[in-house]
Amino acid sequence: MKAVERIEQHFLLRQLPQATVLVGLDGYVIDASDSWLALFGIPSKRIMEVNIFNLLEKVDGLKENIAANKTYSFRHKCGSENEFIWLESIITPWYDERENIVGSIIQSNDISREAEKELEIDRIHSILKTKSEVAHVGYWEFDVQTENLFWCDETKKIHQVPLSFEPNVNEAINFYKPGYSRNKISMLFHKAIEERSPFNERLTIITKNGEEKWIQSAGKAIVKNGEVVKVFGTFQDIHDQVMAETKIMENEQLLTTLIDNLPLNVFVKDLDSRKILVNKSECEYLEKSPKELIGKTDYDLYDEEVAKISREEDLEVLKSLKPILGKETISIKKDGTATNFLTSKIPLFDLNNKVSGLIGISMDISSIKKKEDQLRNLINLTSIQNKKLINFAHIVSHNLRSHSANFSMLLQFLKAEDNEREREHIINMLTQASDNLLETLENLNQVVDINTNINLKKEPINIYDHIIKVRHGLTAFLEKNQVLIKNKVDQKLVVKSIPAYMDSIIMNLLTNAVKYRSPERKPIITLTTKKVDNKIILSVSDNGLGIDLERYGDKIFGMYKTFHNNKDAKGFGLYLVRNQIEAMGGKITVNSEVDKGTTFNVYFNEKTK
Amino acid sequence: MKKLSSIFIVDDDPITVFGIKRMLKPVAICDDIQIFQNGKEAFDALSERHTSGKEIPAVIFLDINMPIMDGWDFLKEMIDLDIHERVIINMITSSIDPSDYQRWNDFKERCPHQLNFKNKPIFKIEVSDLDGFHMAS
Repeated sequence: MKAVERIEQHFLLRQLPQATVLVGLDGYVIDASDSWLALFGIPSKRIMEVNIFNLLEKVDGLKENIAANKTYSFRHKCGSENEFIWLESIITPWYDERENIVGSIIQSNDISREAEKELEIDRIHSILKTKSEVAHVGYWEFDVQTENLFWCDETKKIHQVPLSFEPNVNEAINFYKPGYSRNKISMLFHKAIEERSPFNERLTIITKNGEEKWIQSAGKAIVKNGEVVKVFGTFQDIHDQVMAETKIMENEQLLTTLIDNLPLNVFVKDLDSRKILVNKSECEYLEKSPKELIGKTDYDLYDEEVAKISREEDLEVLKSLKPILGKETISIKKDGTATNFLTSKIPLFDLNNKVSGLIGISMDISSIKKKEDQLRNLINLTSIQNKKLINFAHIVSHNLRSHSANFSMLLQFLKAEDNEREREHIINMLTQASDNLLETLENLNQVVDINTNINLKKEPINIYDHIIKVRHGLTAFLEKNQVLIKNKVDQKLVVKSIPAYMDSIIMNLLTNAVKYRSPERKPIITLTTKKVDNKIILSVSDNGLGIDLERYGDKIFGMYKTFHNNKDAKGFGLYLVRNQIEAMGGKITVNSEVDKGTTFNVYFNEKTK
Repeated sequence: MKKLSSIFIVDDDPITVFGIKRMLKPVAICDDIQIFQNGKEAFDALSERHTSGKEIPAVIFLDINMPIMDGWDFLKEMIDLDIHERVIINMITSSIDPSDYQRWNDFKERCPHQLNFKNKPIFKIEVSDLDGFHMAS
């Protein structure tokens, strides 16, 4: 019977799901469950050889506790140093039927997972604490049920209260600056509980020491079984950050205001010459919003040639790191409008002192440029007129001098001459000189008239009719020289001109053509008109001697310049014609080929009075 | 009285030509006085004489302002002829334009001949105007 009992007990023990071992007072294992053997990795054959004091030698006070006959539990490792599991074991004394202690019952549970979790929680707590200290982010927790408010050490530090301080909700809210901050946090906290809406807000508190501080307060309701049980939140000191941000914003505001209101076009470009900043003036000039301009290159905005030059300048600045200062440039936009600028390009460096782009500043100097041009034109005009005046003065002085010199010389001869025939000859010469002087004075007078009579009115004149009229006056002269005149002028063409000048111009050009006719050909003069760029041009062509323009080109319209051995040549007609045409705002040009003929082109100016 | 083999007068003003001829009478004996109305005529004659080895004029009276070829153009062409004889050239003008005087100065530097500048009116021709070798006296 006894044997059977023992076997039953033995089987019972072996099948226990919980690892259980029975040991004698000497520590030797008497029996154990299969689960226990598996847990400790002991083959069932060698069960009797295992002594618990050896097996658990690392557990402090095991013998003493067993000797004290107490039930107690302990945690211990099982396995090698590198590979082990955590066990929780309970030792209870083992009594026989007579209540004598015969050994111990030890039951072990694998608690590795729990142990790891606890370690993890410890670790997380420590991380949280460190993080909170390092980042100046504190946290708080409010228990809805008990109305307990917990502040972590960092939160207390931010409030500048001692670590022993125990806050309540009212106190906590009263730390917020009265007004916006306090009202806001009250509302947010209330809403977090009532509506479960999380919050995250920058607000100001006044610390225990009376300092105003920017903080960031965040909170979130924690819900359990459909009830808000807690509100958890963070509390961060962002004072320095906000102050720095405020400072940056103020600086930025100052800079933006400054840049935008400068009467200059300002832009910043990156290394690829893309615009990364533009000011108001630049936007207004390009007629685009900043958004439309950012990221654009000059090729997107300007005429290709201009863009190319600008890009080359950019590259030069980026390469040499030397600024271009006050360079005169011309920008031509896509629509063709050109603007003169005084442009500076300055290399831009990043915080590592590496070039990151360039700053461009352009001043619109179109109006200055225009005034400069006007001034230059005026100076040119004045200097041309001045030259003309000096030239005229020289002509006058030279012509009058040559006559007066002749008078002086002849009179000297006359004084010294006794021979009557010779005296008569000298007096004839004097008469001749006097006639020459008169003619010269008349000629000069005509020129002076043209340049002083600027009030003569232009009238609409039919060129064709006028040619007929002049031709009529020259009939005898033309017939004598057997001249053929081809008047091919548009019969309806009317120009605005001073009638007397028109007469003089046509008459001089006709007589000039006849004077320089070729002895080998009958003179033919052709008159034509054409319109070029709204200007009317009257051309008078002949088949005469022609002039070597390469040789005399600039002198042909000069006074008393003749280029042929011709008795009628006086060298005054063309000078007069040019003065008359120029007085009316027009001009005269000449084409000629020696021994072929000459063409004079008279340009009428329709615009000026 | 100086004896001269040949004289050119180049001027388009008949009164001046008359005056020069008259003023020459008391100071020079010359059987060959040629008158030209402009530089071109004078140059053609001079060039012909030079190439055919005829007498080169000893003295030339030269006006500046003339048609076709003026006094300056004549001078330029004459220098290019490379005449070995030293000719006395009297430029006679009524011009008081300083630029004419300046031009005369420039020409004097590079002209192998003797170049005088005379402003009108002139009343007398000096023997020195006909004699190139002032330094010999």
